[in-house]
This record gives sequence, C-alpha cells and structure tokens, in this order.
Amino acid sequence: MFEKYRQVVPEFLQFQKSLCQPLPTHLRVNRLKIDPGHLVSLMEEKGLSFRRSSDKNKTMYIAPGLDSPGNVLEYFLGYLHPQAFTSCLASIVLSPKKSSFVLDMCASPGGKTSHMAQLMDNTGLIIANDLYPSRHSSLGHTLERLGVLNTVITAYQAQEFPLKQHFDFILADVPCSGEGKFRKISENSEYKETKARLALPDLQKKIILRGFDLLREDGVMLYSTCTYNPGENESVVGFLLENREAKLLPINVGFDYDPGITEWGDKKYDKRLERAARFYPHRCDSVGFFMARIGKRG
Amino acid sequence: MASEDERRCLFGYLKERFGIPEDIFKEYLLFRRKKSWQLIKNVNQVTYASILKVSKVGVRAFQKVGAYVRPTTRIIQIFGHKATKAKFEIDEEQLAILLSGEKLSVDLGIDKGYVILTLKDNRILGLGFFVNGSVSSQLSHKELRQAMLIY
Repeated sequence: MFEKYRQVVPEFLQFQKSLCQPLPTHLRVNRLKIDPGHLVSLMEEKGLSFRRSSDKNKTMYIAPGLDSPGNVLEYFLGYLHPQAFTSCLASIVLSPKKSSFVLDMCASPGGKTSHMAQLMDNTGLIIANDLYPSRHSSLGHTLERLGVLNTVITAYQAQEFPLKQHFDFILADVPCSGEGKFRKISENSEYKETKARLALPDLQKKIILRGFDLLREDGVMLYSTCTYNPGENESVVGFLLENREAKLLPINVGFDYDPGITEWGDKKYDKRLERAARFYPHRCDSVGFFMARIGKRG
Repeated sequence: MASEDERRCLFGYLKERFGIPEDIFKEYLLFRRKKSWQLIKNVNQVTYASILKVSKVGVRAFQKVGAYVRPTTRIIQIFGHKATKAKFEIDEEQLAILLSGEKLSVDLGIDKGYVILTLKDNRILGLGFFVNGSVSSQLSHKELRQAMLIY
C-alpha cells in the first residue's frame, strides 16, 4: 500500500502496519455547549470512558467502545462532534482569534467550521463556503446542532470566491484524494486511483491562489489536505510560493509532526516547505494530514 | 431582515412563555425567510457578508407551522437555560416514552402551549407540547432516535 511513498514516509513498515488497524473513535467536545469535564462525567455514568487524545488539549478525546458517537443522546444535544484528531488540529493550527473575519473555503461537512466557531467563542464571523447546495443541509445541520451563531453559508466555487473583501483567517481544506483516511480493514478494501483524483492538483492550485488573494496583509491562511500525495501538498504550496509573495509560517501546534518534504523521486520542492507539517497515522493514530500555514511577505 | 414588530412578537413570546429575557437578543440579527427566521450574532462583518450571495444565515430560530410560529429545537437548546418557567424536567425513561409517541400525564399548572423539556443538570432537549394535563414530544424523531437512549 502506498509503496510510492516509501522514500518519504518515515518508518514506512510501521506506517503500512498502521493502515491495517481500524481508526479509533476520536471526538471533540463542543465547549460552546458544555464543559469537557462535565461531558466526561456524564459519559462515565453511562459506562463509557473517554481518554484525552493529548495532554495539551482539553477538548479532543478518544472514545474506546463508542463505535458510533452519532448515536448517543449527547450528540443530539450538541455536546460532542465525531472528528479525527488531525482534523481538529487544522483549526488549532490556524487559531482564528476572537472577533475575527474568517473564510472557510470548502466548509462541508462543518467539523472544522464549528471548531473554529468554538475557538472564537461564537464571536466575529465565519463565511462557510461550499460549492454544492446539496451539502449545505448537512453543513447547516452540524452548525445548528453545535450551537454555532456566527456563520453564514455561501455556495461559490472556492477558486472563484469573490475578491470583494479580505479576511483575517482563511482555511483552505481543499478537496483531495483522501489517502490519509484509507485503512485496509478488510481483504476487500483497496485504495484506487481514479481519473478525477488526477485532476485535483490543478483545482488545488487555483484554490490556494484565490485563498491567498483573499487574505489581509497580516492575515493567516491554512492549506490542508488529508492525503500523503506530495503532488497535492508540497507541489501545490510550492506553486503558491512561486506565484505570490507568500511565506510559510511556523507551526507550533504542540504535537509532534514530520516536516514537509523537499524531494520526491525526481521532483524537487522549495526548501521552505520544511516548515509545512505532515501527520502520519503510525505516529498519531489518526487520519493522515498535511498542513501549511501561510502568510504574506513584507 | 425581520421587522421590529416581528422581533418584538417572536422574542416577546419567548419572554412571556418561558421567561427568556428579550435583552439577550439585542446582540443578534434576525433574518426573515419564507417560512422561517434565522438568528445570527450582530457583528460589523455581517455588513461585508451582505454583498455575497448567501444561502443560509446563522441558526434557524423560528419556523411557521400552519398558521402558527414555533421556536426551533436548536434555538431552545441554545437559550433554554435562561428560561425561568414552562420547563419540564424528565428522566430518560420518560424520554423513551415520549419518543415512542406516547404522552406523559402531568400537572404543570400552566396554560396550554409549548414547554421546554430538560434532563437533569439542565440539559435542554427541546420542546414538548402541554395540553389537557399531558405533555407530548415536539422533538424531531429523525434527529433524536430511541437508539440514542441505549447508552
């Protein structure tokens, strides 16, 4: 599996082994509605024990024995949201400040949008954009269930989002091949390349440029994917560095990660890409992720 | 945008029926759609957003049901903890009864109308309807399923 990444993924055998393990149930406690300690005690009363995903964060938990977090009363009450640990890290790395103006370019299904609203304590305004109106229902449902009151939903193509205003923070969690979500949990599960996936880098490049152009001079953008593919990660961010006055900002998330790569096969990427972050399943027991934190030069 | 009259009427109902202070809605904007009203925090940036083609704003707060208007489950879940009356605390067994479509007989000593259903520790479920000495569920059976009570 993913043999083509043997040269870039550290501890490759452990990486492959981790792909044969089921993903643990990760969830985020919604501080907009409940204190994490209170939720943990409520779940303990039901015989469910939650374990913190990390000592450094009080809202992210692993829930062994809870296979379907969407099937508990606390889900209906908006106290929790099933969300991969690394997916949560994206909002934390971006860290939108209270009262800021935020654009989530590809917002559905709303996990990261609602997490940002939580980090902003329901202040400021988030534009949650998603091209497909068919996804607005689940996006809106997630935001309403979690008590998010600072969001507007729009339906533009991310790469053509109107250049009418600039944002303090932008999340470009772009459509990707989703390799990081793949787990070979049965003999039949197999990762397949499709033609649609081959077209993704072009779209991702357009989105990252538009995101950058929508950013305020002192704004911060996060480009993220859940794939290992350097063609959708370092190559795309490198394209931005070539075409705009962009810089990569350090990622101080408080969790271990591997740096972005600067070489893959015969391809060479900008050295500055070492500032990007790669999260691998064998190191964090979650979905594989890539993140680059971007600012403007000068 | 909803008119001042609509705001007064809708927030006035929450005050009159549940004792939820109208003041807390001063920091919110209320938008009118065909059959619903959406609530969002009133911040400067909303002005910038108004030049975009918007498909949805904030949380759906009220909806028309026939000739009547009722608060949504979600808005009650958000602001219900501010309520001082027309609240009815149930346990999970009683919730299971309501979700099965049956009513709970109870003397609440209030006029007929909506009541806020809560679980212990002021966990707000949403709305029930009180009439003729019994309460029925107004909770969405699609969103709150009996299977959720297994844990």
